[in-house]
Amino acid sequence: MNRVKVLQAWLWCVSLWPCWLSHAVPLDCKDETGSLIQCTSISQEKLLDRVIQHAELIYRVSEESCTLFEQMFVPYPLHALRNQGGTMCHTKPFPIPGSKSEIQQISDKWLLHSVLMLVQSWMEPLIYLQTTLNRYDDAPDTLLNKTKWVSDKLLSLEQGVVVLIRKMLDEGILTPSIFEHTLTPYDEPSPEIPESVLRDYNLLICFKKDAHKMETFLKLLKCRQSNKLSCLSY
Amino acid sequence: MAYSLSLGLLYLGLLCGNGLVSARSELFTPDPSRGPHFTGCRSREQETFRCWWSAGIFQNLTEPGALRVFYQTKNALLSEWQECPDYTHTVKNECYFNKTFTHIWTSYCIQLRSVRENITYDETCFTVENIVHPDPPIGLNWTLLNVSRSGLHFDILVRWAPPPSADVQMGWMSLVYQVQYRVRNASHWEMLDLESGTQQSIYGLHTDKEYEVRVRCKMSAFDNFGEFSDSILVHVAQIPSKESTFPTMLVLIFGVIGLVILLVLLIFSQQQRLMVIFLPPIPAPKIKGIDPELLKNGKLDQLNSLLSSQDMYKPDFYHEDPWVEFIQLDLDDPPEKNESSDTQHRLGLSRSGSSHVLNFKSDDDSGRASCYDPEIPNPEDLASLLPGHSGRGDNHPLVSRSISSIPDLGVQQTSEVEETPIQTQPAVPSWVNMDFYAQVSDFTPAGGVVLSPGQLNSSPEKKKEEENEKKIQFQLVSDGAYTSENTARQLSTEVPPSPGPEQGYQTFPTQAVEGNLWNGEYLVSTSDSQIPYLLPEAPPAPILPPVSDYTVVQEVDAQHSLLLNPPSLQPAICPHSPNKHLPAMPTMPMGYLTPDLLGNLTP
Repeated sequence: MNRVKVLQAWLWCVSLWPCWLSHAVPLDCKDETGSLIQCTSISQEKLLDRVIQHAELIYRVSEESCTLFEQMFVPYPLHALRNQGGTMCHTKPFPIPGSKSEIQQISDKWLLHSVLMLVQSWMEPLIYLQTTLNRYDDAPDTLLNKTKWVSDKLLSLEQGVVVLIRKMLDEGILTPSIFEHTLTPYDEPSPEIPESVLRDYNLLICFKKDAHKMETFLKLLKCRQSNKLSCLSY
Repeated sequence: MAYSLSLGLLYLGLLCGNGLVSARSELFTPDPSRGPHFTGCRSREQETFRCWWSAGIFQNLTEPGALRVFYQTKNALLSEWQECPDYTHTVKNECYFNKTFTHIWTSYCIQLRSVRENITYDETCFTVENIVHPDPPIGLNWTLLNVSRSGLHFDILVRWAPPPSADVQMGWMSLVYQVQYRVRNASHWEMLDLESGTQQSIYGLHTDKEYEVRVRCKMSAFDNFGEFSDSILVHVAQIPSKESTFPTMLVLIFGVIGLVILLVLLIFSQQQRLMVIFLPPIPAPKIKGIDPELLKNGKLDQLNSLLSSQDMYKPDFYHEDPWVEFIQLDLDDPPEKNESSDTQHRLGLSRSGSSHVLNFKSDDDSGRASCYDPEIPNPEDLASLLPGHSGRGDNHPLVSRSISSIPDLGVQQTSEVEETPIQTQPAVPSWVNMDFYAQVSDFTPAGGVVLSPGQLNSSPEKKKEEENEKKIQFQLVSDGAYTSENTARQLSTEVPPSPGPEQGYQTFPTQAVEGNLWNGEYLVSTSDSQIPYLLPEAPPAPILPPVSDYTVVQEVDAQHSLLLNPPSLQPAICPHSPNKHLPAMPTMPMGYLTPDLLGNLTP
């Protein structure tokens, strides 16, 4: 009987072997035509580089969007708000250290998770931002395109970070978001333009700051990957 | 909630709007008109930052400690105001925040307070990354990329290193750089685009010009540039390349070759001229004293004088015997000339006669040479036909005919020609009455022929007979269109060779007579002032012993005059008989004898 059980167990294992493979590869690889092909593997360094490039691009585009919005809709005296870095950013509940020394002491795991959390926290507000910007009468197309582009890129960034987490931290995250967003619920946009303008402006400023955070964390991670000694705090 | 949010933002904006602008820029110059205020805050490496303030007009607050700085981080909405962690001792009015107090992604608000009076003179808020002014890059150097072909331009590659204070490697600061250059001591700097790397190439610089290059950097996505690095000098000397001289040499060579080719072409095209210049042609044989041009364009009198001096032209006078033609004319139309004088008859143009003898050629030789012009030609035209006029062509023998107005013609001719063929003017009245034929009575030593005047008064019958005889005689000559040698000689004996003003028989060179063809053409020379008739002249000389009518020509001397046998050989053989019968000749004429002559010879 043992032999039979062993044989059954072995048969089960053999039959379920493709399933394990599929589990191991959560991403479906598709070529240009859309048919499923075997995914090409990529090294961790390259993946990290690509993720960093994504983050840099997002950061630059966010800065351009903020500037565009500022020039179009924000009165000049309020341009100084930008320097303040956005006072009421919604990710306040999530404490992120600000000093370099503190950041250097953050672990890789924490870094990656922070990035992931940031990315996920901004997906919904960006969609909201697109809808609000469409309501403006003379919103430039470039601004709308940029916000749309940013939201798309954010998705791909999230995917990359997830893969990184799995690879670097050997953790499997199957669901996109495991952290509860403590976002401030946004009401319907008020008909008064100035309030929405300020709000959107603040949103853009906060997004730019958070994008900078993402980029900084990822670069620090990269630095640690390549040369650990120089990146550690002195 | 939304309302409170928006209101808070508005309030904040209005509150900080006044002072925030100053915190943004690089203002270090204190405003003396204001009270105590912040002059600026800066961070060099995003890890520490400093703030400066000024007392302004409140001079009583300049002592240290009178003004104090308080700051508040806005991580949490409500936080305490803390005093500046470090007042820099070496620098006046400076507050230094070290690493532990510097938090990025957080906004700071600082206040300038006078503690004693508990007055807040100034407040400003910022985030650290927005006040970062990076240090200038270091290690700026350049390398030559290439020099243009002409040697006038060159390109360089400029390299630098990021500032050491900025932690670029960790990614703490992502810097972008800006390179500027200018010609040395110029006023305007050329700015290039932002470069995220640490090198940049500059194109299109001029050689022999000194350039200054400098670089500065800033954080990407931020606006604050740092200070400029020290300028470096770039200079590339212009190298006079060998290649630059090469084209000039080629140009020279090609230019010389082109010139040579041109010269050769010129020489070949102007070969004839050059040959004439360098190798003068051998002069063609010329007639002494006569310019060939003169013959073409010269005047009649000049040519006449020229030709008369030439002996060789004299025989030309005797080439033609138009008087024979003239005689022929008379024979053809005797009855028509009754009224007109003999001379006129001789000289005049009968309409029918002219058809035979007159060859009036027009200038355009259109093949109608033989056609006669029934019109009476102008005296001028006739005169032009005379040999003195070259305009009437070379081929056409000229006719010396005078038309009715003899005196006019004579006048014309005397004006043009030295010797007019019609010099009968003075003798017009004299020979009109004379017979046409006269007997040669004697020879002058000069070679002239003396005609017997007695024949003039002979009876008309005898005249006629004489005329007939003469006519026959001359007919002999005219028949057959040629004359024999002997007859020519005979005829020539009777004609003096002198071309004097008096008319007489003109001698013919025997050769020329034979060569003549009687096509109605006449050859008349200029000095052939001949009227083809015999002019008897009054012989004043004593009558010589009777001379036979015919004499054998002994020889022709150098002057083309005929030497005759002396008449003494036949003293009494031939009595001078008025009859012009052909007497028995003492000497047998040698040569050809016509049957008539033969008949006469028989005694």
